[in-house]
Amino acid sequence: MNRYERWAAAAVALMLVAGAAIFFYAPTDYLQGPVQRIFYLHVSSAIAAYGCFAVVLVGGLIYLRNESAVADRFARAGALVGVIFTTVTLVMGMLWARPIWGTFWTWDARLTSTLVLWIVYAGYLLVRRLAEPGRQAARLAAVVGIFGFVDVPIVHFSVTWWRTQHPGPIIVNDALPAQMLATFLFTMACTLVLAAVMVWIRYRIETLTDERLHVAEPVRMATSREPEPAQ
Amino acid sequence: MVPALAQFIVLALLIGNFGFQIDKQNAPTIAPGILWLALVFAGLVAFGRTFAAEREQASLEAMLMTPASPVAIFAGKALAASLLLVICEAVLLPALTLFFGTPLSGDVIFAVLLATIGMAALGVMFAAIAARVRARELLLPLLTLPLWIPFVIAGGQAVQSAMGLPGNYQEAIGLLIDFDILFIVLTSLAARFVLDE
Repeated sequence: MNRYERWAAAAVALMLVAGAAIFFYAPTDYLQGPVQRIFYLHVSSAIAAYGCFAVVLVGGLIYLRNESAVADRFARAGALVGVIFTTVTLVMGMLWARPIWGTFWTWDARLTSTLVLWIVYAGYLLVRRLAEPGRQAARLAAVVGIFGFVDVPIVHFSVTWWRTQHPGPIIVNDALPAQMLATFLFTMACTLVLAAVMVWIRYRIETLTDERLHVAEPVRMATSREPEPAQ
Repeated sequence: MVPALAQFIVLALLIGNFGFQIDKQNAPTIAPGILWLALVFAGLVAFGRTFAAEREQASLEAMLMTPASPVAIFAGKALAASLLLVICEAVLLPALTLFFGTPLSGDVIFAVLLATIGMAALGVMFAAIAARVRARELLLPLLTLPLWIPFVIAGGQAVQSAMGLPGNYQEAIGLLIDFDILFIVLTSLAARFVLDE
């Protein structure tokens, strides 16, 4: 077992403990019933996704400044893991909304901007896949990542501007019962560890991919020069 | 290019006509939606051609070697593309009034023109990005549309209120101006990185 596998196992174990806390430690919500238990992982993965996209933003800015390959690999890793956590957030939110709001989807500011977030970074991953690997892909993707990060709060803000009169989400702004708060904080910590481990492992994969590409190039150049006859 | 886009817009209205059941009563609720859908997709067609000449003749590198700065190249491309969009709008807005009977006021025109500025800035930048990747026809809408959404939200609100639906026209226009400034500044900053070898 190498250190990556050990950390992955630790993160999975932590998530299982969090699952146990969600189902056996946290009390059942008086109004919403057991459905409320979705909240713990839903909000945690949303925060983890924001963290990942912050990595994409910072990585992109650093890359545009000094072309650091490390920053670019972290941005790549962050985008992929962030899209996964955004998917989790969206799906769990819809499962919660169906019994509580009576509908899977509503064009509320938070839902709209999360959907746009997902689309923007799915586009980011497509740019990475379709552009010429290397400097060009890194630059173009960095620009897309930065614009995407600016776009999401704007969408959120401009929808809120007009649709605040609509029945919005019930955001928990009054204090949670102590047991719920403890469960939430613990789940969030576990999810952040999981996200960090996923980004770290993905970073390793990107490094290996880059190394393979760098090795391939000089070999090709060497073979193309070989046929020149020695005088 | 211009006749093709005009034809595209008339076709979009034709589809809108059959896709919705439009009568005098509900025309103001539906027409703004058709307007933005037609405009956004016509815009994608127009911006898809922005760097077509450079691609076909492989002259982008030559253009970058001229003393013109990337921002200047972007601005020129954006002006040309927004001119195309304005021509689209010159077809779209009267046709909307003709076919659906919605009022064509200065307020509507002003809102659409304001949205065009920011959409052109973003459209040119993503056209430049898409010009350098494979499957650009696929990638251009996927990158551009999410960034155009703020303009559709604010512009949609402005056109709706100008056509007599509830909404605050002044606020929507203010927001459109903010978005225009923000995205013109951002794309000017990004130009150097997108148009660099």
